[in-house]
Amino acid sequence: MLATTDTKPISDIDLEIMWSRLISIADEAAIALKRTAFSTIVRESNDYAVVLLDENAANLAENSSAVPSFVGVLPRTLSSLLKITPPEEWHPGDCVVTNDPWLGTGHLPDLVVASPVYFKSKLIGFVASVAHLPDIGGTSLSATCHDVFEEGLRIPPMKLLDGGKANANLLDLIRANVRVADQVIPDIFAQISAHSVAQKGLCNFLAATGLSDLSRVSGALQAKSEAAMGRAIMELPDGEYRAVVKADGYGDRETEIHCCLRVDGANLSVDYSGTSPQVNFGINSVLNYTYSYTVYPLKCALDPETPHNEGSYKTIKVHAPEGSILNPVFPAPCNARHLTGQLLAGAIFECLAQAAPDRILAESGSAPSLRAMFSGARADGERFSQMLMCSGGMGASARGDGLSCMPFPTNTGAGSIEMFEGAAPLLIQRKELLASSGGQGCFRGGLGQEIEIEAVGKRPIQVSLMVERTKYPARGLQGGGNGSPAKAALGNGVSLDPKSRVELHPGETITLSFAGGGGFGNPAERSQALIASDKASGYTA
Amino acid sequence: MPKKLRIGVDVGGTFTDFVLLNEETGEVHFWKSLTDYSDIADAIVKGMEALTGKHGFRLEDVAHVAHATTLVTNAIIERRGARVGLITTRGFRDTLEIGREARYDIYDLFLERPDPLVPRELRCEVHERIDAKGTVVHRLREEDVTAALDLFERRSVEAIAVAFMHSYLNTDHERHVRRLIHDRMPGIPVSLSSDVAPEIREYERTNTACANAYVQPIVRTYLSSLGERLRKVGFSGSLQLMFSEGGMTTARIACDEPIKLIESGPAAGAMASVYFANVANVRDVISFDMGGTTAKMCLLENGEPRRSNEFEAARAKRFKKGSGLPLKLPVIDLIEIGAGGGSIAHLNAMGLPKVGPVSAGSKPGPACYGLGGTKPTVTDANLVLGYLSPKNSLGGKVQLDLGKAANAIRDVIADALETTTVEGAAGIHDIVNEAMASATRMYLTENGKDPSKQSLLAFGGAGPSHAFGIARRLGIDRIIIPPGAGVMSALGMLVSSPTTTVSRSHMSRLSLIDWAELTAMFREMEDAGRALLIDAGTADGDIIFERSADLRFAGQGFEVCAPVPLGTFDAGSRQAIEDSFIQAYEALFGRRIEGVEIEATTWRLRAKSAPRDLNLRFPVATMNGSPQKGSRKVWFSESGYVDCKILDRLFMPPGFECLGPAIVEETETTIVAGPGSRLSVDPSLNVIIDLGPGTH
Repeated sequence: MLATTDTKPISDIDLEIMWSRLISIADEAAIALKRTAFSTIVRESNDYAVVLLDENAANLAENSSAVPSFVGVLPRTLSSLLKITPPEEWHPGDCVVTNDPWLGTGHLPDLVVASPVYFKSKLIGFVASVAHLPDIGGTSLSATCHDVFEEGLRIPPMKLLDGGKANANLLDLIRANVRVADQVIPDIFAQISAHSVAQKGLCNFLAATGLSDLSRVSGALQAKSEAAMGRAIMELPDGEYRAVVKADGYGDRETEIHCCLRVDGANLSVDYSGTSPQVNFGINSVLNYTYSYTVYPLKCALDPETPHNEGSYKTIKVHAPEGSILNPVFPAPCNARHLTGQLLAGAIFECLAQAAPDRILAESGSAPSLRAMFSGARADGERFSQMLMCSGGMGASARGDGLSCMPFPTNTGAGSIEMFEGAAPLLIQRKELLASSGGQGCFRGGLGQEIEIEAVGKRPIQVSLMVERTKYPARGLQGGGNGSPAKAALGNGVSLDPKSRVELHPGETITLSFAGGGGFGNPAERSQALIASDKASGYTA
Repeated sequence: MPKKLRIGVDVGGTFTDFVLLNEETGEVHFWKSLTDYSDIADAIVKGMEALTGKHGFRLEDVAHVAHATTLVTNAIIERRGARVGLITTRGFRDTLEIGREARYDIYDLFLERPDPLVPRELRCEVHERIDAKGTVVHRLREEDVTAALDLFERRSVEAIAVAFMHSYLNTDHERHVRRLIHDRMPGIPVSLSSDVAPEIREYERTNTACANAYVQPIVRTYLSSLGERLRKVGFSGSLQLMFSEGGMTTARIACDEPIKLIESGPAAGAMASVYFANVANVRDVISFDMGGTTAKMCLLENGEPRRSNEFEAARAKRFKKGSGLPLKLPVIDLIEIGAGGGSIAHLNAMGLPKVGPVSAGSKPGPACYGLGGTKPTVTDANLVLGYLSPKNSLGGKVQLDLGKAANAIRDVIADALETTTVEGAAGIHDIVNEAMASATRMYLTENGKDPSKQSLLAFGGAGPSHAFGIARRLGIDRIIIPPGAGVMSALGMLVSSPTTTVSRSHMSRLSLIDWAELTAMFREMEDAGRALLIDAGTADGDIIFERSADLRFAGQGFEVCAPVPLGTFDAGSRQAIEDSFIQAYEALFGRRIEGVEIEATTWRLRAKSAPRDLNLRFPVATMNGSPQKGSRKVWFSESGYVDCKILDRLFMPPGFECLGPAIVEETETTIVAGPGSRLSVDPSLNVIIDLGPGTH
């Protein structure tokens, strides 16, 4: 259908059409994954990604709403897999899986699946996907473990499908180690179904374009994305920009992230030297996760329009010292890695604020996500386990107020409270915007929210808390004020340890305060109209 | 004399289309006038008078006028609705504003959200609470309602919405509040969430109730003024409106639930497609409507359009899923793409060509209109490629300037890409086709369908010119272009019957359902549906019921809608419902899951009138003469410019056949049939293009 062959150069018009086609193949595969997945974490929270890669493990295209923490990871994982299993040892119908945090996305629940793609009997590339499984055994999601062994089942790279035949031993092993096998196993097969959609799409693509493999189109696309990011970096003044982000850490062990961002022409490097050493609690962010949450905010700020591929980050280098909370060594616990990794966007933006203040946000109260997991038994004896997924406020920018109750840098949506109440003996007494929680500024931070939850069953309910920002709220930029901190407290006013497990007795309530976003610019410069409308709407007290 | 005429009116952005059907003879007549926004009712009356007069009829002979309107959708997009007050459960007045807590574009740091339809200062909380079982936890405190109404009076609120937690299970508190409002503020419109969208998920239900309240005053004013005008000029038949789900309703019901008019026009177009797909005897069809700014695709299966129970209005970022206001209401499930004849081609930051979603509109319009536009559009590309004739466009009403089109493409696209003007034009045509094909592929994947097994039914001003390119990209073998492709929405209203959908959320595992209770619930829903249809003029014996349920595997976060048997439920019903769900699940996802319990969330009843037996006769059939009116140079990617025959559709009788490449011109559109295809006219005057195996 396209008038291109292996000999004719790819014109810009052809390249544009091929590019949209490749993205649409990744999107179709992602739809297949989302639609066939069983668990709500994939379906409602979009916690998955699908990437098409060429035969050198370079990212060609990824689904357009890929979760930010997975951006950039899958090519790294596949490269590692190819070192273990060289290309000639892959066969049609194979499928390799691993959830090793250091090879994959940094914690056990995320399963990476990779499959080779053959066209006319030749290996032309790979499809890889990652999805957050509803359970992986161990202590379930919490920050309290002391090593990765406590955190759940770790699967080294293994063939789940060998020439199309399922590895029954591996499936039995997974089934025996997870709590909700009836959701976990179908979710893994949802990833495999998505791969077959992508494999078929890539073969049709080659047949229609007259190309015999993906190398030329891959090279052309990478060159375009690399040039676009390079141009964006060139616009920044050369120099060294520094930021330090402090965090609650675990118990009384506060942590610090030291970030040094260097710009030199079209090259940009981020160095986290000086960052706190790894800790014996699950808030360590392995290097792959650190990498993702470093390049993602850079892309948002510098080159948000260009579709992402391997070329995008060629001129960006990320270094985190081994043994730090941003590059912990095995067997560090890392299940609640988001409590550290999601702070990186704030560090990166604080550096960029010195070079390009109109392109970034102040710190977001929604980073890191505040999570509370409620579990126990219903009156009919059935077990329940419900995660409350809600967000604090986003940071303000030079262009406007931060959005209230909006996740950043992650993008997990909130479900319905009516659904939540239907699944667990809990009654939400209120879920409301937290007035004055956004940091002041010429533009104010997005508002956080406050949620009060009552246990209404006959038995106590376990609550696992993963809360950050109780001591260090989201900071404002360019003179803007800080947002309000996060907090967890019982109805009687007693504050709770932000990273703990507590028991909620029938009739008791727990109140979760989600942090507000940081403000931007001098509060004295805020327009009178905005001040008045904030007052009228009760956004400020 | 019995009334024998029906008129369909579609008030669109640029034109208002009229179609007159003589039910005795099946004859159909068209009329078009420019839409006059200053007085739409007046324009409708004048158009109807002109159309009936032209064919020797009087307005007194008209039994039904059926109407599709953009009033509701525009009021929400342009924020021209009423000042609404909202009453919520204590602790939940911010539900409307907090929404789903997700970013619709992960790379845009500065994304904007649509403002809630009711500002925070007009959202009042009252003490009351119902739990997830429907049990009252806190009784309604009347003083709180009084305080809310005090505020609403002070702030001159024009309509009120009420949305309480779990009201889909227990409507008592919402109804109690309505009584209090009626006593205090008689005449003010009240929208209860449990009436408008009695379904679980508080944000979407509240939003739908607010949207209904928001448009209620303007719809009431408009419909009463239209009704009055029509009566004044002698019309004594019934005025009907097209609901978003593709069925007709009365003006009175439309005034109660005006939000259901939001997709009135597109639904009418899809219903016309259903009619023509049936006439052409094809089962699995993609209806493809491409106009000046957007293209719409809708999947038709076994003579019915695909339906959905959710719709997103007023997107903050055009065509971006998740950027709008989600509403719970029955709609025809179609996708809208920012691709039309007016879509502007440009180069992005990387120097790659892009088309749309910005459109040149009708002013200044494409460069070739010569109205001052200098940006190249899809229409300009089609002109350069020879698909459009400089002479014949829009029925000869507009002279297209080939030179201006070529210059715009050369200046903006071709020179920068170091290619020829015609290659640039072909690129624009191909890129817009790829965008539509990609969106269609994803839409079909979501619905578990294979594009290559569908037929493409193309209409709208630009649809028939792009159908060939899209069909090739999707591997589709057959394209159907119905007669009257320019007035499809108006036609759709004449071929649709009165329909209504009633839904109730009732969450339960199938193993625990009280079947007698469910039977009673459906009887009640059937009574409600029957009353509405009888009100719309349907005879009791002509009413057809269809039941369905939103079902899922227990623990899943999403539902699949599957048909449910009619009649009295009993313990044996469980198996039938499970089988139906598994079948629907397998069709969507290609696999089944064994051994997991199934639960229901929402039950639905669709009541519709038995379809009328229609055999439309189009005026085009009467012309005699040679179909070929000439030839011109037309560009196709595989051959470059070739001499291509130009046919006039008015002279193509049933049974006509020829091989592509060929261009067929008609008043409002131009059909392109590329090399390797075969073109024919079927007995109902549909133009059929068959793409040979070598064409793909």
